Order: sequence, then C-alpha cells, then structure tokens
Amino acid sequence: MEEELVAVPMVPPARPQPPVLSVRRPPNPPMLEHRFVFDGRAGEYFRIWIVNLALTLLSLGIFSAWAKVRTQRYFYGSTRLAGVPFEYTAKPLPILKGRIIAVTLFSAYVLAGRYSVFMQLGLALLIAVLTPWLIVRGAAFRARYSSWRGLNFRFIPDYAEAYIRFLVLGLPLILSLGLLYPWVKGKQKAFIVENHRFGGSWVKFLLHAGQFYPPYLIAWGVLSAWMFVFTMVMVGVIMVSGAGQSGGAPAGWLVIGMTVVMYLGYFVVLAFLAAALANLVYNHIDIDGRRLRSTLKGQKLLWIYAGNTVAILCSGGLLIPWAMIRLAQYRADCLCLLASDDFNGMVAERSIGVDATAAEVDGLFDIDIGL
Amino acid sequence: MNAFKAHYFDGQTSRLHEVEVQRLDAATIRVVGDGIDRSDPASSLRISPRLARITRTIEFSDGARVLANDHPLLDSWFPHEDRLQRITDRLERHAHAVAASIVICLAVGIATFAWGVPWIADRIADQIPAGVETRLGSEVLGQLDQYFGFAPSQVNAKRQDALSARFSKLTAGLPDAGHYRLAFRDAETVGPNALAIPGGTIVITDQLTGLFDDDREFDAVVAHEIGHQQHRHALRQTLRSSFVLVIAALFTGDVSSASAIVIGVPTFLLQSHYSRGFEEEADAFAFNTLAAHNTSPAWFAAAMRKLDDFHHGGKKAEGGVAYLSSHPSSAARIAAAEASGEAFISAHPDQIRETPGYDACAEEGVCPDEDEDDSDCDDESCLDPDEVDENSDDAEIPDPEASR
Repeated sequence: MEEELVAVPMVPPARPQPPVLSVRRPPNPPMLEHRFVFDGRAGEYFRIWIVNLALTLLSLGIFSAWAKVRTQRYFYGSTRLAGVPFEYTAKPLPILKGRIIAVTLFSAYVLAGRYSVFMQLGLALLIAVLTPWLIVRGAAFRARYSSWRGLNFRFIPDYAEAYIRFLVLGLPLILSLGLLYPWVKGKQKAFIVENHRFGGSWVKFLLHAGQFYPPYLIAWGVLSAWMFVFTMVMVGVIMVSGAGQSGGAPAGWLVIGMTVVMYLGYFVVLAFLAAALANLVYNHIDIDGRRLRSTLKGQKLLWIYAGNTVAILCSGGLLIPWAMIRLAQYRADCLCLLASDDFNGMVAERSIGVDATAAEVDGLFDIDIGL
Repeated sequence: MNAFKAHYFDGQTSRLHEVEVQRLDAATIRVVGDGIDRSDPASSLRISPRLARITRTIEFSDGARVLANDHPLLDSWFPHEDRLQRITDRLERHAHAVAASIVICLAVGIATFAWGVPWIADRIADQIPAGVETRLGSEVLGQLDQYFGFAPSQVNAKRQDALSARFSKLTAGLPDAGHYRLAFRDAETVGPNALAIPGGTIVITDQLTGLFDDDREFDAVVAHEIGHQQHRHALRQTLRSSFVLVIAALFTGDVSSASAIVIGVPTFLLQSHYSRGFEEEADAFAFNTLAAHNTSPAWFAAAMRKLDDFHHGGKKAEGGVAYLSSHPSSAARIAAAEASGEAFISAHPDQIRETPGYDACAEEGVCPDEDEDDSDCDDESCLDPDEVDENSDDAEIPDPEASR
C-alpha cells in the first residue's frame, strides 16, 4: 500500500482520472480476470528447436547461446497478457560468456580430480560458496531481460540475505534433521519473489514461510504411507517366494519391478507437490494490488509429466518440443491476473528515481549461468 | 504503402499507444498516432530478429519500443540487422534444412550412445579408486546374499582349497591380481553361475562346481571371469548403464531421480549381461590364459556346452539368472573356443590327448580293450615315441611356469 501512495502522484497527467471523486480511490474497484494466453504451436517450435540444436552441435556448443535466446523469445513472445506479449530481450553474447565460465569451472573441477583430491575439494567448496551469488545473478539476469508493455522486471541483488537463506540456513536445516526443510524453502522462495520489481513497483509476497508446511507434510505423509505399504508387500512377496523355493528364481526381477513401482510412487507425489507449491506461491503474489491466480491441478500435471516422459523416451527425444509446448500451455491456461485497471498507468523504474547506476554495475557481471 | 499499424510504449509508463509506423526515407522512421509523433534516424533503432510468428520489437535509443506483428517491410527497412539470426530464421522455415537437422541430431544422438557414453564411462572408471570399487563389490555381494538367495557354500573346505589353488595358479603373474579371490556360494535358485564382481571377487555357485567333470572346465570358466576382472568389466558396465540413465534423465529434465536409480544398477547388472564386446574380450583373455597354462581352449567350449545344456536342456527353461541363456551368440562363442583349441593343438601337437572328448581309441587305435591283443604294450609304452617323451597322462597339467 505504501508503494501506491508513492506511485500515484507520479502518474502522468494524461491518465484518465475519475471525474467526480477527488484524491480518494474507489473503496472496492471491480477486479477483472486477465488470462495468460499462450499460443505457441508444437510444429512451429519443433522447427526452431531442431535447427538450433543441429547448429549447436555443429558449432560444438557455441551456438547454444543463440539457441537459448531464440527459445526464450519464442516462449515469452507466445505468452500474452491483456493482448500484449511478453518480451525476452537478452542478447546471446553475455549468455555465451556465462556458459564459457560454467564449462571452464566444470572442466577445472574434473581435471583437478586427476591431480589432487584436495584441489578438487577446494573447487567444490568454491562452487558451493558461489551458489547464492549465482542464484542472485541468474535471477537478476532473467528479470532484467524480461519486459511487458515496455516496462522491465528487475531483481534487486541482496547478496547478504542470499547467503543467509541459501547457505547459512543449511545449518539449522541439518541440525533439525530436515524438519525445517519447508520453512527454509519458504524463506528462499520469499527472498526470490520479494526482491523482484516490475516497473516502479515491488512484488509483494503475502505468505510466511510456515505456510509451506501443509503441502510438504501431506507429501511426506503420503510417501511414508506408500513406503510402508510397499515394504509390507515386499516382505510378503519375499516370504512367499522364499517359502516355495521352486518359484524363488524371479526374486531378482521382483526387486527391480518393486523398485520401479516405488519410484512411480515418488513421481506421483512429486507432481502433486509441484502443483501445490506453484499454486501456493503464485496465489500470494501481489503487484500494486494486482493479484495472480494459479489453479494447477496435480492430477492434470501428473498426466502431462507422464505423457511427456513416455513420448520423449519413445520418440528418441524428438517430441521434446511438443512436451515443452504442452507444459507451457497448461501452465498458462491455469494462470490469470486479477486487476481492476487497464494496465495503462504503471510507471517505469526511472521515473520514480530508483538508482539507474545499479543496472549499469550489474552489466559488468552480466552472466546467465543456468544451462 | 510504406507503413503499418503497431503498438507503441514509451518505456516510461505502461500506456499502450495505437500508432502507425512509417518510413519517411531510407534513413528516417516515423511513429505517429495517439498523441505520439516522433521521427528517428533508422540507424539509431534496433529491431529484434525474425522468429516464427513472434511479435517484432523496434527499440528506440531512449528505451521506447514499437511492438508489431511480423511484416515483410521490416526486414527491408533494417537490412543489416543480425545476419546470423536471419540465416537461422531462414533455415527454420526451410523444410530441407529441418529434415537435415533431424538427421544430424539423430546421428549425433546415436553416436553419443554408441561411442560417447562408453568412452566417458571408461574414462570415469579409470578415475575410480580401487577402494570405491571394492566397496561397490561388497555391496553387490551383500545384495546377492540378501535378495537372490545366495547361501554359504556346501562344498567342503578341502575341495574349496583345491579350486582356490587352481585359481591362484591362473592369476599368478597377472597385473593387479593380488587381491583377486574366489567366493563360494550355494545358490539353488540361480543355478550354475560365475560372477565377476567389482573389486576382484569372483563368485562361484556350488551348482557350477558340481556341473563339471573335469577341473579344466572349471579353469576355463574362471579364466573367463578373471578376464572380466582384468578389464574391470563389472565397473565399466555399471557406469555405462548408469550413464545412459543419466543422459536419458537429462533429456526428460528430471535429473534428481537419476542419481537414485543408479543405486539399483548393481542388481540390474547381474540380471542383464555384459555387452558382446566385453564378453569377447573376456573370452579372448580366457583362451590366452588357458593356452599359457598348457590347457586347450577347447575346454572352454566344453564348459560352455555343459552350461548351455543345463540352461536349455529342460531342467530350467526360463527365469533366474542364467549364465548363457540369453546369449544368442553362445554358439558363436563355442565355435571360437573350438577354433582357438585347434590352433592350440597345431601349435602343441603333444597336447592332442588332452582335448575334451578326445577318443584315443578312435583317433590312434589305442583302445583299452585292444591293449590285451598287444600284450607287451602297457601304458606309456603304447604311445608314439614322440608323445612319450613330453606327455604325461595325468589330468593335472603341470604348470609350465614351474617346470621351466
């Protein structure tokens, strides 16, 4: 709310104002539902994907930065909100730079193992210590090159807080034997969401970390029940097959079959958990009174994940683009923005005087590590 | 008409202006409408590369931008923008280029699985310290005892010692073979089998030792397993299998589950089989080792036949961990062993009577019942003079290493 008080006087005079009422805003403006519309097509994206992949292979990976930009632009540009598409504005060269650094680090790690275990441990430690920094840089990069209606997203890099939430909190997590996991995850999510800005507005997160417990607890509960039933069945089967020695031979196949069944259980639970967490996060995001609404269904998401996995495996990978489009389509179908205005009144960062130099300094470390 | 409709955003607010974009002359672009009227030199503008049906963006130097549906005019207005992506776009729209890309990607993919994965897996195997391999091996042995019904051996200690002594003779002088050892297990459900486990242990089932009539058949099978150990096949095969899983997981985008699946691989390894190349490598090792110990490689063929008969001879038609059952190539391997045996005999003609199934009566006319006719012929004196010198009828082949 404070943000709005600051923002209102800065709105350009051209903005149509309600003629009768004075400064006071209408108490309950009607909220309209704006759907995210995704119109990417599998056939179209397949052409982009396969040509860019072939060029990447032929160029020994160099072209991958261009491929990434084209892919991102396709997915951003295919997503529209209130009739206006999103834009991905990053250039390939900084991405290439980031990838060269990542590959160099990884090669150094592998080569170090050849000469000295201590050197390798040192490098592993270095990479661990760099992780929060990389998370911040990655978020900042993605935000800075994402825009809508001519306004940029931004991620304000708060390194101290990043180190607390992504490194220091690991200690209580271990000491609590993992019991704090949902809380730590919640803290990390909140950090990522709350450091984002769109135009001149902070993105607010209306959720405290404790609220991450219910979905995780349900997932734990279901998994434990699954493990229990699974173990009982397993013990039963082994005893039966052990009793009748003649039928004991397939025991090996049994172990593998049961392992597969067990992982299927994980797969199901993870799909439901992913849907629940995404809904939880999106439904508590607030940008200047505008709210997101996500209605992902675990069952549907599971169906999509399972179908994608089978399709990709059976097609030797050629259906990856179809799978990606299918998932993006469903995600967009389940997401909408509730807002009472026509989106014409938002202002850019610069017009409310937040330091422009920060963006320039960021440019020095303009890397996107995510592979 | 040298103009088109577009949306304009000034970069300061999110307000959408409906505008028309015009080209006044080769160097100037004008945006007009909805309270906007600006003219800019074309050289100060940047346009986003063409990409499928995606909206194009013209960026102004002050941060303002024009969003327009892709329009043929755009590329003629900005002919020098990003040539690389322009070529890429043309390829993406070209059916032949797409077809060629599919071929390239599939070829690289297949090559990666066929050669790249084994190559990387072998490089990783080289890096793995012996300690890790030993630990992996004891884990596998534990799994065998726990899940596959492997029980302590019923074979008496004297016999075990005798077989272990033969084993030590075979491994003597091999590099890195000091820690190789035999482990005897009773495995009714598995049947006759020998398994080379990572770290140098070779598991022999009681059913295997009971199957053979001649210890040289045992030597042949053990030599084959030593071959697996010498080439670290168990570890390499494990890594190769897990690598396929890891790469597959990378494709599906779910890497976290792959690391967990890898744990199940030792079990999987025992169920499935070594790659054909590995088997041939171990076979070749066995042939050479047998020949070096003055035993005909044909004993390997004899052992294979017995195993083959056992697994296909109706006693145990299917199921279980079979030594040979799923090997379509076992006939070829037997033939290779026979050929190697013949080569051995032609190099060592004196060993002719020591080949499996050799019938001295049919081949040389030296028959037990005929001995009575030729009364002064007894034992060795009946043989050809050149055989007498160098050969003994003892089933135990004297170690050539020791005799020299």
